[in-house]
Amino acid sequence: MEIVEAAGINVALVAGRCAGADFARLLEADLRIAGDGATFSAGGVADPVACAVRLTRLLGEAAAKELLLADRTADAANALRLGLVTRVVPGSALGETARDVAERLRALPPLALSAVRDAVRAARALTPGDALALEHEHFRRLIATQDHKAAVAAFFARREPAFTGQ
Amino acid sequence: MTGSNAHTRWWADGAVGVIVLDNPPMNVLSDDNRRGIREALAEFRGAGTRAVVLTGAGDRAFCGGADLKEEEELTTETVGKFLQRGDETFRALREYERPIVAAVNGWAMGGGLVLALWCDVRVGSTRAKLGAVGVKVGLMASNVQLSRLLFEGRARDLLLTGRTVEADEAHRLGLLSSVVAPERLMDEAMAWARDIAIRPPDLVAALKQALNTALDPIAEPAPR
Repeated sequence: MEIVEAAGINVALVAGRCAGADFARLLEADLRIAGDGATFSAGGVADPVACAVRLTRLLGEAAAKELLLADRTADAANALRLGLVTRVVPGSALGETARDVAERLRALPPLALSAVRDAVRAARALTPGDALALEHEHFRRLIATQDHKAAVAAFFARREPAFTGQ
Repeated sequence: MTGSNAHTRWWADGAVGVIVLDNPPMNVLSDDNRRGIREALAEFRGAGTRAVVLTGAGDRAFCGGADLKEEEELTTETVGKFLQRGDETFRALREYERPIVAAVNGWAMGGGLVLALWCDVRVGSTRAKLGAVGVKVGLMASNVQLSRLLFEGRARDLLLTGRTVEADEAHRLGLLSSVVAPERLMDEAMAWARDIAIRPPDLVAALKQALNTALDPIAEPAPR
């Protein structure tokens, strides 16, 4: 497994067997993409109970229980079904897919992208009410940025926006 | 170890306990099978059972939910008791220390779906049909379970429409962990239960507990 970073977003690329410490690292990535030969197993993670909590928050209770209780190995198709990865591509196309995803991430307005990443990460540890309050806090800040105004102007002018991170 | 009452049968098969709701064709919820589930789990606990399989008798239904005749006769005075009897049984499955595998052999609807959803893993036959049918009868059931098991978008779809989810779709949604031919269903469910039963029991109990509570609201907000 390889984790590549683009515009502050960690993308996990799983080509082969992902188990133990790799599986724990996989859960901390922002995006997860698998080659069609990838397999996933929580077997050997250092802290199975922490992994259980993390997986439940990530996938919902049904998927987490399916993966953990009988310690089954999931192939790429099952990982996609359970939401453990969001995309499966031919193993030989993983590198190209990674470059494509990185390019798309770098084209997004950086302030909004990092705010969404932070809010989603923070929501793991917040009550729904606190998560919503945090979202509103970000929204009030983002609506005043140059990048937001640039995106609206570009939309009406029917051209591609250019973002500055301001 | 074996036991039974008018609507329930149970026995232990090695480290795996089996409970059959036995009032076909629909195996509707009754005082007998609600009590049967609780008694069976209590006996399994005493016998050191490490995993349980719950299924329905016959080939039409896992559990058809509440008996509509019983429901029709409820009054404002008796409805509380009725809900409490259901809750006691659902909670018994949820809080039982060992994982419970539902073998969904046909319809699981209304309260029958709740029963299946409070099990830890569900495997189904190709005849399995899941229905959050509460809304269709002007009631509410399985809201809490579906919102926890699925993400909100999918849960809303099922709860607001009450539509029937066939076995293949249920597998794709993660509501069933595998789907097999009807004649293979019990073997499949027993295989899941045995895979669970051979793992360290204290770890499995800790995992079930952690998985059950992982989505509970956290009292203290994290520092920002």
